[in-house]
Amino acid sequence: MNGFDWLPALRYLLLGAFPAGPLGGVALTFVLSVVSALLAALFGLAGGIALAMTRGFAHLALTVVVAFFRAIPVLMLIFWTFFLMPILLHVDVPGLATVVCALALIGGAYLSHSVYAGITSIGDGQRQAALSLGLTRWQTLREVILPQAVRVMMPSFVNQWVSLIKDTSLAYIVGVPEFTFLANQLNNRLMVYPAQIFLFVALVYLLLCGALQWVANALLVRRKSTRLRASEVQAGKLMHELQNCR
Amino acid sequence: MHNWLEPKYLAWLEQGFLVTLMLSACAALCATPLGFVLAVARTARTGAIARGAAAYVFVFRNSPLLVQLLFWYFGAAAVLPPAWMAWLNTPHAVTLGTLTLRWPSFELFAGWVGLTCYTTAFIGEEFLAGMRGVNPAQGQAAAALGMSRYATLRYVILPQALRIATPPLAGQYMNVIKNSSLTMAIGVGELSYMSRQVDTESFRTFQAFGTATVFYVLAIAVIEVALVLWQRTGVRTLQRGRV
Repeated sequence: MNGFDWLPALRYLLLGAFPAGPLGGVALTFVLSVVSALLAALFGLAGGIALAMTRGFAHLALTVVVAFFRAIPVLMLIFWTFFLMPILLHVDVPGLATVVCALALIGGAYLSHSVYAGITSIGDGQRQAALSLGLTRWQTLREVILPQAVRVMMPSFVNQWVSLIKDTSLAYIVGVPEFTFLANQLNNRLMVYPAQIFLFVALVYLLLCGALQWVANALLVRRKSTRLRASEVQAGKLMHELQNCR
Repeated sequence: MHNWLEPKYLAWLEQGFLVTLMLSACAALCATPLGFVLAVARTARTGAIARGAAAYVFVFRNSPLLVQLLFWYFGAAAVLPPAWMAWLNTPHAVTLGTLTLRWPSFELFAGWVGLTCYTTAFIGEEFLAGMRGVNPAQGQAAAALGMSRYATLRYVILPQALRIATPPLAGQYMNVIKNSSLTMAIGVGELSYMSRQVDTESFRTFQAFGTATVFYVLAIAVIEVALVLWQRTGVRTLQRGRV
């Protein structure tokens, strides 16, 4: 790339104007993803538990709210939060907060669906056994159902987090200086290497999403194998005791 | 209700909704057979083909659609030969009887290509999951009967896989409609773009976004209802078949 000073450009894409100005670029994308992923997980757990614990009208109302958030595009929700949050809160809300709010709501709606599905997938016998042992409904959920359900719904959490990372690129539309916004800005300024710039951007997102999936897979597989080993050890002990009995 | 939005702005929104529906329908129509081919390629016995298909899915599923659209719009325009770009940018028209098909603007074309490539990866995964959901004994039984690999796929695996894959496929078609809103970033005049246009011109933010939201929910609800109807009739024919 003759004459093009690529080191400052790369630094700008990675960090934005960071030490001098606000954080931007890949670093901001990362922070945005982590914050909205945590909030989405929180909303999703709360929503899923609420769906599982309510009956009748409250359940129906909650289902409609979740279905609404799942039916509208993320972009539309970003418009809504961008427009409504300052009116409702009576303060000037920065674009960043509105995007975090929109992503957390959408992610939370999708996750509450999978949390609810995970809870209902645990056999009813578990719930009945816990109740007949004298546990309350909350204790049953907290001590018996959720620990099993979390294992079932872990893959959908990872999937949702991956699509959250991708959706942070939509913050571009309200002028948040995250990675895609800066890349587009750079492209408009240079006008020479559009294909290379966007291929590089896609590669960075690939690395981010791929790393998340890889780490999640490694953790899940390790947990599964330790659980298997634990049950093998238990089975071994049992055999030993049986032999001693003889 | 009479001062909700002026008819002019409502017409804009309706036009945007029409573009959203057309774009989504075209992308879904092209992505479905392509996704099917992708799923078959992923189960291919030749390692290179299967690996290539897996790489395609990995790349297109794990990068944001917005970046892909910007790539097709800005990047492809710079990489393609100038003669092609000139052809793509000049208007063409095909007249079939009373129907005139006009070549779309480059924005719409790039949006369609981007949306199709992205959706293909997702639909391919749904087809693959459907094919894996069919009991492997079915394939072995077909092989034992002397059916070729193609015949097994065509007459044994696919009819069952399609039934398994239909609900998730409907979900993907809903996603296409929602994802088509991202094409506003490259200047396609679809529903989100139009709602923003109406907002900046009329200052009726609530009405503009509200109408657009209702249109989106309506489109999603139609697909949902179609899925429920299909499932009802499908279950009934299945039961009749058993009797």
